[in-house]
Amino acid sequence: MAESRAERLLRVLEGVAYWAVVAPALACLPASLGYRLACWRGDWTLRHRPAKRTELAGNLRRLLGGELGPAAAQRLTRDWFRFTSCEAIDVMRLRHRARALGRLVEVRGREHLEAALAAGNGVILCSAHFGSYDCAFSLLGASGFAVTTIGRWQHNYTAGLSRAERRFWDLAQARRLRRHRHRPNIEPWPGRIQVAAQAAAVLRANEVLTIAIDAPPLDTDQARAVQVPFLGRQARLLPGAVALAQATGAPLLMGFLYRTADYRHQVLEISPPVTVTGDVAAAFARCAARVSAAIRARPAHWAFWACTGDLADLGLIEARSPDGGIQHDGSAASVPARG
Amino acid sequence: MEDVINAYISQEIVADPALLPLSDDAPLLEGGILDSLSLLRLVVFVEERFGITVGEGDLLPQNFGSVNTICAYLRARQPGKQEAGRG
Repeated sequence: MAESRAERLLRVLEGVAYWAVVAPALACLPASLGYRLACWRGDWTLRHRPAKRTELAGNLRRLLGGELGPAAAQRLTRDWFRFTSCEAIDVMRLRHRARALGRLVEVRGREHLEAALAAGNGVILCSAHFGSYDCAFSLLGASGFAVTTIGRWQHNYTAGLSRAERRFWDLAQARRLRRHRHRPNIEPWPGRIQVAAQAAAVLRANEVLTIAIDAPPLDTDQARAVQVPFLGRQARLLPGAVALAQATGAPLLMGFLYRTADYRHQVLEISPPVTVTGDVAAAFARCAARVSAAIRARPAHWAFWACTGDLADLGLIEARSPDGGIQHDGSAASVPARG
Repeated sequence: MEDVINAYISQEIVADPALLPLSDDAPLLEGGILDSLSLLRLVVFVEERFGITVGEGDLLPQNFGSVNTICAYLRARQPGKQEAGRG
């Protein structure tokens, strides 16, 4: 079901209004009320975006079909929309020293991060496009860790965005996340040969390097991708985090931020170091298994359910021709879609 | 110096034996032999082997495009050369 020009315009305007006006206002309300209203907005987008809803439910069934009943699929779809609305509130609550968000997030395993840093080789903290992962990185930065992220800002590579839209998302979202990061994001664009060296410089300074390891490889990176078990299938992922850990001696930890049943409280769980010695692909498979387990435990937190093209790029579902129903709508849940 | 760099890249970085033997002017970046991570390994190697520090700003295709350009860069960075240049 293709989106008409008018529908797209309305969707973009609604997303802009939500991020520019509504979410900042909701973030100033008591958390219980602010997140409740964000959930209502999530329910509204669920009702008014049937194509996205159908795509999301279809992908859930494709990958988790055997373990997912219709009622569970419906609940997960609803939660996915609610979570994306709540994420905007999380970003807004990063204002000042991020205490407004910090009060709502319980960090478990902070001691693992501190112990790993005590060794002096920096830390690689791996996560996924799971929950408010970007807020988790910034929250750690606000709480005293020097955090730098390897990753492309979504608004810079989502296909079909105008220059004004990119500027808006930079101001509304990325700027708020960036201010708690120690250095600018290290963005792995094709041809940027400095990426690993910049990452190594972060680790040499005994800082925290964060990365979401479940991103679909770009065409130019396909040769470096490895096949690993993921959600019961084989996914093509880039094992760069493990290769970097091996090259620098930095410990690699896993961290996932998930929302509790009341939608406003969240838990950031940081693991002890993962063993990264030996074959890169095998070591990376251990990391991917952690991501896969986190998604299975809390499926609605994973951003890529609504991005059929990305799931195809990951090798998790078959890519179909446009007339076959599955189309690539850009990458990583176009920004307005996540708004 | 060319032999040392060539041997390291050939033995530690080149994954496809069809690319060997590696000529000193073979394009390492355009040819896909060096990527960001293998470049990091190479940088660590030359830093240890030749006692220099490679700055982020030096990680440019003109410095790491081939064995020859790497050696030209390293010769320019060797302490003796730098002092001679200043003197």
